[in-house]
Amino acid sequence: MSEPPQPERSGPAIGADEWVARSGERAERPRGLVGRVQELYERIPKSAVFAFVVVCAALVPLLTSQTDNDIYFLRVGTVALVFALLALGLNVAVGFAGLLDLGYIAYYGIGAYGYAFLSSDKFGIHWQAWLVLPLVVAVSALLGLLLALPSRRLVGDYLAIVTLFFGQIFYIVATQGYRISFLGLNKDLGLDRANWDLTGGPNGIANVDRLGVFGLKASSERAYFYITLIAVVVVFAALTLANRSRTGRAWRALNDDTLAAQAMSMPVNWLKLLAVGLGAAVAALAGTINAALLQGAFPDDYNTQVLIIIYAMVILGGAGSLAGAVLGAFVVSVLMLEGLRPQTPIGDFTGNGRWVFYGAIIVVLVAAIRPWRRLAAILGGIVAFGVVVHAIVAATTDRGTDGLLNTGPDTYTDGGPLGWLIRHWLALPAGTYEAGSRNWFNFALVSLIGLVLCLTLVKGWKRDALIVPTVWLAGFVWETRLAEETSGPTRLLLLGALLVGLMIARPQGLLGRPRVEIV
Amino acid sequence: MVQPLLELDQVSKAFGGLVCIDRLDLEVREGEIVSVIGPNGAGKTTLFNLVTGIYRPDDGDIRLDGESIVGLSPHKITNRGIARTFQTLRLFLNMSVKDNVMAATYGGTHASLVESILRLPRARREERESNAVAEEKLSFFGQRLMGYRWNQPAYSLSYANRRRLEIARATATEPRILLLDEPAAGMNPVETHEITELIGQLRKEGGYTILVIEHDMHVVEGISDRVVALDHGEKIAEGTFEQVATNPRVVEAYLGTTGAERK
Amino acid sequence: MLAYFQDFQLTWSYFFDQLVAGLTLGSLYGLIAIGYSMVYGILKLLNFAHGEVFMIGSYIGYFVLTWLGGAADPKIPVAATIALMFLAAMLGAGALGMIIERFAYRPLREKRASRIAPLISALGVSFFLQQLAVILFGSAPKQYNAFAFDNGSLFTNVTIGPFTIQYMQLFVIVTTVCLMAALAVFIARTQVGRAMRATSFDLEAASMMGINVDRVIVVTFFIGSVLAGAAGVMNGLIFQNVDPYVGFQVGLVAFTAAVVGGIGSIPGAMIGGLAIGIGRAFSIGYVSSSYQDVIVFAILIAFLLLRPSGLFGTPAPQKV
Repeated sequence: MSEPPQPERSGPAIGADEWVARSGERAERPRGLVGRVQELYERIPKSAVFAFVVVCAALVPLLTSQTDNDIYFLRVGTVALVFALLALGLNVAVGFAGLLDLGYIAYYGIGAYGYAFLSSDKFGIHWQAWLVLPLVVAVSALLGLLLALPSRRLVGDYLAIVTLFFGQIFYIVATQGYRISFLGLNKDLGLDRANWDLTGGPNGIANVDRLGVFGLKASSERAYFYITLIAVVVVFAALTLANRSRTGRAWRALNDDTLAAQAMSMPVNWLKLLAVGLGAAVAALAGTINAALLQGAFPDDYNTQVLIIIYAMVILGGAGSLAGAVLGAFVVSVLMLEGLRPQTPIGDFTGNGRWVFYGAIIVVLVAAIRPWRRLAAILGGIVAFGVVVHAIVAATTDRGTDGLLNTGPDTYTDGGPLGWLIRHWLALPAGTYEAGSRNWFNFALVSLIGLVLCLTLVKGWKRDALIVPTVWLAGFVWETRLAEETSGPTRLLLLGALLVGLMIARPQGLLGRPRVEIV
Repeated sequence: MVQPLLELDQVSKAFGGLVCIDRLDLEVREGEIVSVIGPNGAGKTTLFNLVTGIYRPDDGDIRLDGESIVGLSPHKITNRGIARTFQTLRLFLNMSVKDNVMAATYGGTHASLVESILRLPRARREERESNAVAEEKLSFFGQRLMGYRWNQPAYSLSYANRRRLEIARATATEPRILLLDEPAAGMNPVETHEITELIGQLRKEGGYTILVIEHDMHVVEGISDRVVALDHGEKIAEGTFEQVATNPRVVEAYLGTTGAERK
Repeated sequence: MLAYFQDFQLTWSYFFDQLVAGLTLGSLYGLIAIGYSMVYGILKLLNFAHGEVFMIGSYIGYFVLTWLGGAADPKIPVAATIALMFLAAMLGAGALGMIIERFAYRPLREKRASRIAPLISALGVSFFLQQLAVILFGSAPKQYNAFAFDNGSLFTNVTIGPFTIQYMQLFVIVTTVCLMAALAVFIARTQVGRAMRATSFDLEAASMMGINVDRVIVVTFFIGSVLAGAAGVMNGLIFQNVDPYVGFQVGLVAFTAAVVGGIGSIPGAMIGGLAIGIGRAFSIGYVSSSYQDVIVFAILIAFLLLRPSGLFGTPAPQKV
């Protein structure tokens, strides 16, 4: 191997010296306190971090008592863990292999309904979980393989469509499957039933058994927390090992460049099937646990809305990052799904959704606006703007500022000291939205969306200036329109916006690594 | 007569109305270095795509070691012993240098997913072996792709290093014949000289048979046992470099009729 | 057995009724499917949000109708009311389509994001619009109450020989034909139409030939959304119900139609739409209504596996 003749040199030589070659890595490191913390963190072995997190999680139920409040918290945690399991499973197809499996929710449902068929009063079968679980998981994995089989040659988009429709079919069968017959000809064919009830239709299957192993039944909230936690830990470990294996490398290769992967001896079609199948298995596990947890299998837990929620979790956490999937699951589940409820079943926390909302805005502002002075100016401007508008409105109209805060379904109070701050920062008209008149505030909501879109169009000081009224308007719209939507559209609306925003601003999510795409 | 390692027998391929390869006969014997030259659009990369199974020939047969490989999927063809690089560079950019090469050892290993997750002996052994193979193939290029480079993502490599990595990755499939598609494209004279030496060393130390598409005649001259010239999908000349370079049809294909006359 | 077939109504008039119902429904699907097809043809993007544009078009029509006093007592003549509804819905939907393109898809194009990024963004937009509609309009369906127009005259039957067809159905079919004709002329004869065709063949090459690809994309989204908006008003007029979830359901079916007809092909999209519409009508009329969606999806999956390029699409060879 010939190299160019080396002149006498006294310093590092470009291309031949590691220190020089890695200067780019050093330049990318964040500076200051954050940088040093990051450096220290990177020295800790990942397995130690993992063990630490697991131990912390395991301690949570021990800190709770038997009061209703605490049971509620524990249930929130268990549900978050179930979602974490789902997010991990989805990460195999979407994160590792880059396949858009939009039918994932069906495997979740198959797990739940499969368990419900075999462990409930529905058909009188009451097998124990240790028997049902492997069976259901295997069936789901097989179905995943079978479904992906004919679609294996399809390019990414088409795979997405086919899987999406499979998910739809599952949902339809689940909700319509309570009057199955041979084209309505049962009686004519001599059968004694006009139709069969397979899935319980929209009401699902109730009275599903609790999880049982060799005669022991899990029935307490704590038990399910631990069961799900163990499932998450096992799946996490298994998927980490899978990612480091030759199969994991092959998945990542086919994600980067499918054609090159094929040329480099990797059986791309089989690998795609394997990814979907493995994800399906994990989803079925989650489904079984969920059915036992809720003691029922209800079709609306397995519809497209839930699918998009799981996708949001994976994308937020960072597709391809297992820790990210778990983190995303917790953030979305706890903050967005639970935290944004205007009312929670526990006494003192009604109306806590607004703290999550305002908190999130502040966090985003702090994270995105760099120099402290600029941040302070903007925050100050927001406060000042509100105060000024409040003063103007108070001076010009009678009840323009006497509105109350929504702190529960049809409950409007003054919200205590913090509520006082909000009511004096915003200008909430009295007797309007509380009475149900919505139209002007709908306009405000649409205007807010318009303002946010405009924010993306301008730059520099204009953007900073525009942030001020936008944040104010966001608070206004929250209090008058979004806070009271107890059925869920607010949190789902924000979830949809989150997905779009993530793709544009930070496609790698929280813990993912930025990807370079071949154009 | 020794059977050629790779044989194309009256292979034809057309896309719609455009004939890309027209009744092509080609053979490559074991241990040879054969260069394929021709103006742009002559069908050279299509030739590679046919051999590696990305396209299926409309007519004719392609045989490796006497056995037909037509209709096999690309990964099976690679497992039989044909590996390639790409004209436009197709690395796994988001994977590390070492992972790029280790990924190519997939065909030579057999541990299932379950075995890998449970870390059974076969999986662990194959992982060690893949590791060793990757390090060995990367070391072929001197210090350039060694040491700290192993863990750097492929997108951080310079252009020349990327080309080297792609060659290393291809050799990791333990092929019998290497198809190099314009390995010297975009390289400066020093790097081109290196590549020329490298190809020779691949044959000498690696024992690979090599089929090269190349435009740079210095490279072609320096490496080839035989040169095949294509134009509009058919073979217009074959022989040593001197024979082909002075062949009037070849000159005409490159320079056009007036150019040929001037020459 | 005989009793079953007697219920069955094995009569020509029943058959024709189903056929007309299918054509009407199919026109709706076709109009929406065109939007899917056009956008996919140029951007290779599955615009999941397209169904929601249709839904918003429906709502715009509803609000214009209410503003004009409602179907029972409109302030201006019925024909003008309906015309205004269409106009508003089409323009509104078109504007929405352009906004979605500008803010949800174009930034991803400029950043050269991965293949699945626009798909995920599309899912997010679809979800967002759906829930926004729930917040703004409530999840209870709104009623067009088109039977009240002129005391129900719009739904009276016109008899052609032994067959009957409602005015409304005839109106929908004829309007669709007119819109298709206008679109065909636009694409074949105008500069922009030519540019659209070129861009759908090869986006990069078109941009290098001096075509303003961004503008072509905007026009494509606009036209597709305009047609979806028109379909939205038709949906309200025929089926009366408008709710926030109709976009997703209808969107999926229309998407099936686009694929069946050959995604990227406009006539294919309309034919696919008609085929699916007729198929659905027959399966409702002759089989059962619960599983109509399953049948539609099964058709889709079969098509995708056997003939991914659809009826009129061209299979695209992959260039390495």
